[in-house]
Formats: sequence, C-alpha cells, structure tokens
Amino acid sequence: MRPDRTTLRQSTRRQLFEDCGVGVGKLALTSLFVGDSLFGTESEQRRVMHHAPKAKSVIYLFMAGAPSQFELFEPKQELQKLSGKPLPPSLLEGKRFAFMESFVREPPKLLGTRRKFARHGESGRWVSECLPHTAQVVDDLAFVRTVHTENFNHAPAKIFMNTGTPFFGRPSMGAWVSYGIGSEAEDMPNFVVLQSGPRGPRGGAMNWTSGFLPTAHQGVPFLSGGAPILNMTSPQGFDHDRQRASVDAILDLNRINMERAGDPEIATRISAYEMAHRMQTSGPELIDFSTESQSTLDLYGAVPGGKSFANNCLLARRLVERGVRFVQLYHSSWDHHGGPGESLDKDLDEVCLSADQACKALVTDLKQRGMLDETLVVWGGEFGRTPMGEVRDTVGRNHHIDAFTMWFAGGGTKPGQSIGETDEIGFSPVKNPVHVHDVQATILHLLGIDHTKLTFRFRGRDFRLTDVGGRVVDDLLA
Amino acid sequence: MVRTLAFLSALLLIPAAHGQDESVRFFEERIRPVLATRCQACHNEELKTSGLSLATREATLAGGTRGVAVVPGSPGESLIVAALEGSGALSMPPTGPLPDEEVGAFRTWIADGAAWGADSGDPIPAAALWSLKPIRPSSPPDTSDADWVRNPIDSFVLAKLDEAGLSPSPEADRRTLIRRASLDLTGLLPSPDEVRRFVEDTEAGAYARLVERLLESPHYGERWGRHWLDIARYADTNGYSIDGPRSIWRYRDWVIKALNDNLPFDRFVIEQVAGDLLPDPTESQLIATGFHRNTMINQEGGIDFEQYRVEAVVDRVRTTGSAFLGLTLACARCHDHKFDPISQQEFFQLFSFFNNVDELGGNLEETVGRSRMMDPVLELSDPETLGRRDAGRKQIEGMEAELTELKRSIEAAWDTRFPPSDIDGIEIAREIVRVPPEDRSSVQESVLNRVLYEHAEEYQQKADELKQLRKQLPEVEWTMVMRDLPEPRESYIHIQGDFTRKGNRVEPGTLAVLPPLPPDAPRNRLGLARWLVSEDNPMTPRVTMNRIWQRYFGLGIVETENDFGSQGSLPSHPKLLDWLAAEFVRSGWDLKAMHRLILTSATYRQSSAYRADAAAEDPSNRLLARQNRIRLEAEAIRDVSLSASGLLSPTIGGPSVYPPQPAGAGQFTQVDRKWKADQGPDRYRRGMYTYFIRSAAHPGLILFDAPIAQESVTRRNRSNTPLQALTLLNDESQTEFAAALGERIRSLAEDREGRIRQAFELCLSRPPQGAEQERLAEFVGRMEDSYQSDPEALDESRFDSPFAAAWAAAARVMINLDEFVTRQ
Repeated sequence: MRPDRTTLRQSTRRQLFEDCGVGVGKLALTSLFVGDSLFGTESEQRRVMHHAPKAKSVIYLFMAGAPSQFELFEPKQELQKLSGKPLPPSLLEGKRFAFMESFVREPPKLLGTRRKFARHGESGRWVSECLPHTAQVVDDLAFVRTVHTENFNHAPAKIFMNTGTPFFGRPSMGAWVSYGIGSEAEDMPNFVVLQSGPRGPRGGAMNWTSGFLPTAHQGVPFLSGGAPILNMTSPQGFDHDRQRASVDAILDLNRINMERAGDPEIATRISAYEMAHRMQTSGPELIDFSTESQSTLDLYGAVPGGKSFANNCLLARRLVERGVRFVQLYHSSWDHHGGPGESLDKDLDEVCLSADQACKALVTDLKQRGMLDETLVVWGGEFGRTPMGEVRDTVGRNHHIDAFTMWFAGGGTKPGQSIGETDEIGFSPVKNPVHVHDVQATILHLLGIDHTKLTFRFRGRDFRLTDVGGRVVDDLLA
Repeated sequence: MVRTLAFLSALLLIPAAHGQDESVRFFEERIRPVLATRCQACHNEELKTSGLSLATREATLAGGTRGVAVVPGSPGESLIVAALEGSGALSMPPTGPLPDEEVGAFRTWIADGAAWGADSGDPIPAAALWSLKPIRPSSPPDTSDADWVRNPIDSFVLAKLDEAGLSPSPEADRRTLIRRASLDLTGLLPSPDEVRRFVEDTEAGAYARLVERLLESPHYGERWGRHWLDIARYADTNGYSIDGPRSIWRYRDWVIKALNDNLPFDRFVIEQVAGDLLPDPTESQLIATGFHRNTMINQEGGIDFEQYRVEAVVDRVRTTGSAFLGLTLACARCHDHKFDPISQQEFFQLFSFFNNVDELGGNLEETVGRSRMMDPVLELSDPETLGRRDAGRKQIEGMEAELTELKRSIEAAWDTRFPPSDIDGIEIAREIVRVPPEDRSSVQESVLNRVLYEHAEEYQQKADELKQLRKQLPEVEWTMVMRDLPEPRESYIHIQGDFTRKGNRVEPGTLAVLPPLPPDAPRNRLGLARWLVSEDNPMTPRVTMNRIWQRYFGLGIVETENDFGSQGSLPSHPKLLDWLAAEFVRSGWDLKAMHRLILTSATYRQSSAYRADAAAEDPSNRLLARQNRIRLEAEAIRDVSLSASGLLSPTIGGPSVYPPQPAGAGQFTQVDRKWKADQGPDRYRRGMYTYFIRSAAHPGLILFDAPIAQESVTRRNRSNTPLQALTLLNDESQTEFAAALGERIRSLAEDREGRIRQAFELCLSRPPQGAEQERLAEFVGRMEDSYQSDPEALDESRFDSPFAAAWAAAARVMINLDEFVTRQ
C-alpha cells in the first residue's frame, strides 16, 4: 500500500520541525521524492516570531563561579571607608547565605577592594585595573549593575540563570531559543556549548539540557582540541569516500523500507543521516583557524589547536557566522572565597588575564565584521560576591545574590550605558533592580520572542523560561 | 455517560485553554498568576488576612474588613487597585510594588468585569473529572466482525473503529510478530533459529506459546524493569553538582526479580513505598524501599541541608502523583492546584508521609552532615567484615581524639612556636586560634587543620597515620533504604512552597476527592501504600494499565499518561481503560496476565504498515486501525546490536558497568569523571547496566532520550536527530558490534547472497527483498575492492583482509538501518 503523499509530506515536515531541530529550510532531500520539494518556505522554521528580532544569535559568556563586581565594576567609596567594620545586622536579617553557619558565629566584616578603578570611554564607565582590555570597549557595552537572583549555591544558581528555575532538568535558555525560532545552520547543531578553565560548570549538562522539550534542542558541548563533536570522526579505515558510500547504502535501504512501511519517521531519519554527514564534513573546517588572519588571531590571543577561552571566543564567532543561534561559553573559575586557588589577588588576576582580551576581541571583531548588530553578547556569572569579606586562607568574598553586574553588547542593546544603582556599600539595588527572569525576558525579546508566549505544555501546565515572572528591561534596548 | 460528563468537565474547567472567553483567558494569563504568587499566601481561605480571601471570585467580591476589594467594571472603586498602586493608605503587596504593567492588568481586568476561571476545590470539577470516578467496567460491546475479535480488548477497539467507519489492519506476518513480541517483552532480538521455528510452527496456539515463552524469559524482568526504573528515577550517583557515587543497584535488581517472579502489583507497590514498615520486613523488602531513595542528594559545600532534604520529600510526593495517581500533585506545592481539585494543604498532607525519613537534613555542622550523606542505608556484608569495620572505626575515633588533643596543645603555644611571619596561612590561623574552639566554624577548623598539616611535622605525621587507618577500613556492602525517625517530624504547609515560611500544621492525609484512608489504617507510609493500591482507589489501576498500554502502542489510551486531571487529555477508549483496570484488580494485580491479554489481542497483532485511508480519518492513529512503529529506547538500541552481533553478555544484575564511551564525554561537569571502559564480558552488558551518572550520563543513552533521572519520567521522548546518526555511525561500541556481526555473517554462509540473507535474518528477522539484496551486495563488492586497492586503510581498519573489512562495513550498514532500531 502506498502512503498518501500529501499527508505524508505534511507530517514529515512537522516531524522534522519537532524532532530534528535542524536547518530544514535548507535541507536538500532531492532523492526522497522525485520532482517534489519536501520542504516549504524558510519562514516555516520559526515556531514563533512575536515581533521583529534585533538579534539573530546569542554568544553568552558565562563566567562560572561568580566574578566579584567589587573588584571589577563597582567602586564604592563608602565600602572603602567602612572596610573592616562589621556589616550592620539589619542587612542580614531574613537573608540566607552559603556557609551561613560561619556568619552566626562571627558577624562578617565589610571589605574594601584593593583594586584601582578609573573611568573609561566616552561614556565614562568605571572599570578596574583587572580588565584593561574590556575597559577599551566600554562604549560598546551596556552594564546592568543590579541583577539579582534567588539561589546562593553555585549549581542551583547556574541552573536558575539558564532555565529560570533552580530545579534540575528544566529546559535551558538555548534550548528554548532553538525550539522557538529554529535554526539557520546547515551543518551545525543549533545550540553549542564551549568550555575553558580548570573545570566544567557545576550542574554539568543540566545547564544546557532540553528538559521536556524535544532532545534535538539540547546544547551540544564541543570538545576542546580535535573533533569538536562526540563521534564526529569516522571509524578507522573509513575515509571520506567509504563513509559516504556507507551512508548512501544506509539511505538507500531506508528508502526501500520507506516505500513499504510509509512511516514519516523514516524520512526524518534519512534527513538526520544527511545532516550528520554534512556535520562530519564541515566540522574539521570549522575548527581550522588557518583561514583566520594573523591579526585576528592576535586580537583574540587565540592559538590554532589550543584550548583556551580566547580560542572559544573565536570559535563562537565562526559558529555564529554559520547560523548557530546560541553559543554558550563557560569559563572557570571566578569563585574567589579566599581559599587555596581562590584569592582575590593572584587567582583573580589569573582568570581576568585569561578572559579580558578575548572579551574585547569578540566585541571588536563582531563589530568590524558588521555582525555585532545581529549578535547579542552576554557576560556574567550566576551571582555576585558579598561586600563583606570572608576569611579563609586569605580574605575573599562569599556568594551574593542581591546585586551583581552583567554586561551586554550588540544584538539591539543600547551601548555605553549603565543600568541600575546599588546602595552605598553595593549590597542591594536602590534603583532599577533586574531579576534573572528579566534578563531572560530581555534576551528572548531581542530575538523576537515574547517570553510570556513561548510556552510548552508539560505535566498539565504551560511552562516557560521565565516561570511566572520576567519583564523586558526597556532601558537596555536600543 | 462518562464521555458526556468528561466532555462537560473539560468545558467547565479549561475555558481559557479553549479560548472561548477572552476575558477569562486574560484572567488566567495575567491576573491569576499574580494572585497566586503575590496575594494568596495571606489572602486565602484559611488565613483571610484582614478578612479578605482572594481564593475565589465569590470571596474576592465579598471583600474584607477594609472594604470591597473588587467592584466589577469600576477599577476606581476597587480597593485592590488602590492598594496595588499604593495610592491610598494601603500599599500591597508588602514585599514591594508590582511592575506598572501588572497593576495596569488589574485595572483592565476589573474594567472588563473581573471575569474568573474555574477554581480548584470547586465541587463541580471534582464531581465531573472522569478519572476520579470509581471504575465501572462494562461488558464488551457488539461489533461488526466477531471473527476478528480475539479477546474483549478487540471488541472495545473495533467498536470505535466501526463508529469511525474504519476497518482494522490485517495481522502482521509471523516474522514481524516474533520480532515485535520479543522486543516488547525482552528488549532483545529473536535468534534466526527462533524465528524459523515460529514460522514453521503450524499447530494451533503457536503464537500463544511464543508469548508464554517470552513471559518466562528472565530478560522480561530486565525489559519491564527498565521501564519502571524511569518512573523510579534510578541512577548510580547523587545528582546536583558534585554528583558523587551511591550504592543502590540492589534496588534495580530487586525490580528485575520482582517482575520476573510476577510479584502482584499491589505488593510491588507496598514493598517499594513502605517495605520497611511491614511486620518483620525481609532483606528484600528493605531493599525495595530504595524506590524513594532515588531522590537526589546535594553534596555541594555551604548548602543548607534542610533545603535539599525538603526537595527530596517533595520529589517523593511528585513521584507518587505521576507514578500511581496520574495527578500533577507538584502544582499544589506553592498554591492550591489551579485546575484540579487538589489543595496545597493536601499536598503537604502527602508530604508529611514522606517527611519522617531519617536522612540528612536540619541545621547540621558541615562535617557532621557530610558523614551521613547517604543515610539511611542497609549494610549487607557478613558479620565478620562488619565486626572488623566497627573495630577499625573505634580505632579511628581514638586516633581522631589524639589528633585533636595534639592540635590543642600546639594551639596553646601558638605564638611561641609561630612568631609573626609573612606567611598568610600562619597569620590567618593565628586569628582562628584566638577564637575558642566551640565558636569556630567548620571552614575555620579546616583552614587551621591545613595550616597545621603544612607547618607542624608531628601533626602531619599523625594525620597521615589517620589517613592510613581510614584507608584500611574494610569495604562494606550497602544499599540505600528508607527508615523513619522514631518520632515523626512535624509537617507544615510551606507558604508559597518556601520551606522557611511555615504555614498551618498538617497531619498525614490523602486527597479528599479520592476514597478516604480507612479509619484503622496507620498514618504512615504503609497506610499510604495500601491506600494507593486499595480496591476502591480508581487511579492506580487506571494509570498503571494505561502506561502498560502506552508501551505496546506508542501512546496511552489517555495520551497524557501522567496527567489524568482536567488539563490532561481524555481517554480515547474510556470503556476499554476501565475494563482493563477492573480486570487488573480482579486478576489479583497480575502483571503477566495483563501482558498476555494485550499481546494475544488482535489489536496488538495488527500490521503497522501505514494506511492512507485510516490516516485521513485518524491522523495520529488514536483508534488503532493499525499497530504503530516505535523507535527502540536508548538501552534497547544497544541491546539489539549486542544480540545481533552475538556479543551480548546475558548476566542479570550486579554492580553497574562501564562500556566504552567517547573520549571527553565527562569533560563538561564540575568533576571530570574518569571512565575506564570494562574489558571482558562486562563490556557487553545490556544498556540498563551502564553506570548512570546523573550530571554526565553516557552520551549513547542521553542522545536517544534516556531520562536524566532528575525526576520521575513516565514517557520518554522519541527524537530523531543527526547526533543519533553520528553515534550509530561512528561510536566505538558500534564499530565493535559491526566487527563482531561482520564476522558472524561471514561464518554463517558460503557466498555473498547467503551472507546478506544471514545479515537480514540476524538484524531484521526476515530475508532481504530483491532490491535490498542487490544494494547491499553492490556495497560489499565496492568495499572489498576499495580495501583491496588501499592496504593502508585496511591496516587502519585492523581487519586482516579486504573481505573481512567489507563485511564489517556491511554489518555497520545493517545496524544503522531505521528498521533495525525500530519495533515494527
């Protein structure tokens, strides 16, 4: 019995959108239905488009461990003055902190910074000596100084930043975006995760999971050095021709079965194998930096074949050039408690050194190439650090959820400004508090998505990235 | 009747979702969430702060002691608007003003007449919700074709097809049938020999005998056990960020054995939920309680232990909802359920059943907490080992005391021993030493210990000895189990789901809309467990039979298998579901009898070939005019490759194993997992035995939609992606399977045609068609030539002849076919 073609084609298309999450608009399945185009117009890729997007892609620089805003962006005269004095207990009332048992025994003391600050750029933004490169591009950045979150432990806070809830297993922002607006990448996954620094982010795959959304939208972690995607290399003894011949045999046998069984899932599998083969072909080209000029490599501080945040930033640009929607870079570790490897002096210097130049380079490079307008760059950690010191082997800072700094560039954000104000010691926002859900709502907004409308029915409820909160931060928009 | 009521209930309950009333939709989307998250914590039916409840429209219109909260049509006269705007004496909510657009939404809503959607707790929904009604089995209906009907299932299915004017599909051929039944019952392929015997068995009852044989296979318990482990959120690690190892595989083995022994389902449930509370529980019954110890444990530093204990308890309630009751109980954690008749109070009544486990929680010192992370556990080693361990522990305690004593003596003479220096550690330790020991934090103590270890030789020596002693402690076998505290914890409603905000005290109790706990039932987990499987609880048998049905047909009779509430879908065959549920209870909760019933039905035995006529009428095949093709689950995809290639190690149970995984797979977690692939038989165990790390699960499992074990999963996604294709094409395990399968194919026949036939028989349980034979033959020939002319590639492939390499390549093609990874 032959399947009815119209129904089959429609349901195949639907299946591809739902299950495959790939750039179906450009997929060529020429041999499947002779003389019959399988796919409709490109606009069908988008599940939602609530308004005209400003940004097409996001590069999210996740500074894992939580950078100290007081050492980088938030000079506070009053805090300098009160350094060494105990924190007024009124500020602690009703709050919960990590390692709180130590607070009860010994009230924490305020800590001024040892870092020197200066105003930079025409916009006159404060940046400390820790980030001399970032300081050079402040006019391209928008700072939000009053981001606040709800979770004071690393893993739940990271999960919260990424999924809008502290519960493990809910879909991440990149997955929502991929699910919502589809892909333009012909031969790359739509949501790519890169990692640098001594350790992976706490919470692991839960930070880029697709949760209850179709698996195709989960973030694909790229490995550093060698083939970026797991199983991207053909087995020993299979050169390009033999691999192609094998894939062709698989496709042909699947087509024969398709004729017999008529199941659209078989067509989806055929297209998945074609896409897989294209990924294999284009993967080596993606990570081959030899096509980059020396001046570009120098700008980033990238070394071909190296494993570094700088390399990842350059790779992120190349991914976005290829149509990837969401690239998330995790860079560790900014967790400067004062313990071994966590000092606010030497260890902070080290991580700043490893990140600063590449951050500037990414913004500069995107701008030079005319890509910054359509690429949103986000920089930030899972929370900030306390105005109080924390005594371990050296004096560091603890986790702080009431106010911390993130910056944004491009993608329809308004550069050269600073949003929100904190109190004299930087403990809490006094003007324009921006909740994590607001950050998420704004990122979605820039991509053309209304965060209240991008929902998924699961367990009897419509879920969304921003849970029941979130408002677009209008001041951030250009 | 049931159908009409259900339809009616759907209308009553979810007008917003159906878009019939814009103003109700506006209320549901813009107003209700704000009321729930900002107002109802105080303004609810119990607390009625200032006499005002905002729980229902009626109560809201009634107002409170300060006056009328809402005057429909007049935002200006509505006190709630003034309070939200802070324009009068009152400013709400107390946590700070709402964003302007939310306040604006209230104005719009009131101006439009203050429409209101249906509330939970309303008597109408409870009465109208089909799933809460007692099971009412009806006799199988008359149908158009009595000959087609093999058992009552078929009457119910055919009656619906008749209504739609559709005819069922013919029975699948025998090869498809044996492959289907084998995959469904054991998750393994039938051997070509088994296929041949079944095809040639012309005596009556051949199929029934096949089903019996498969039900008796010990692999049945593995196959259906794995389904249950999804629900049980089983994993080998603790979850969250540190995600360290745990020992609970004995629970997994208990599930397999219980299913193989056909333990009646009511006992299956009771032993898992409350085996420890049974009189004189056996070791097996204790191990069974691992079910509710599969909750995650946070090992991160600086956490509040109580917070994560509460999360585990909440997870047990949530799992009770999806596993047994088919209700989204978790919705009622923060507020009364928006759509179903479940109150927040009832959520915490259920919570209190699970709140008494003697597990890590409360406000403990970091070090004390860490020492009892896994509690409670059942120790399984022999008495001699346990004795040695206890003696060792005693010795360690003594040594610890000595070490502390030594530390104190060094502290006492700190300043003389360590004069002021520029070593940070010494100076910070000096500060710490000045704090009396009982006032120090655990962080301070550990900093001090580290400084001492580095700068005081005698301390280092003793600490090393202690370390050595600890290392010498004999390993004791253990598994995580449930054990309650002697005195139950007090349970409270958590206001807005926040455990730090206690509301009213609650006692253990069940849902008002379901039959009550018998008066003499114990108010503990045992009482709850018995209630879950009591004869008059309609939920558990319906939910269980629906889930079994779902495994066999791809979708349940109720498509939303974990939501039988008003937001769930209605059953496609309500009478069939009730008949199955009643039959299940009547059989004495006999699972194998239910499998037998479904497998021997004509409905199950239909061909799965696509039918345009049926698709036009019923696009998603809810009426089952044919069987569905179902892609195999992650573990089964591995298992069929293992069985086709002959590599399978059929050992059942035991500690989890480490098949190869791609290099770098564990790179992206906080703790980079070393994964040393097993050599020998454990390399070829079934997928369900792969060591499961929650934060970095084996990519071969995750890419094919195995659940990540963060919470109970009752249905897996079935995605179809390029990364799956890359895995099946290039993964190291696949290459090994292909090599073994290639060798097997070569050895089974003398010529190319015969070998291709063998390849198809082994992998697809059928001979190739002409076109398939030709295509694969062409491929093999081409590969052989290709390796012949490229000795270097042959060398790389590690085969000793182009012939061998070519057949491995052909085998690789076979295990990549859609049909291979699909149950047809």
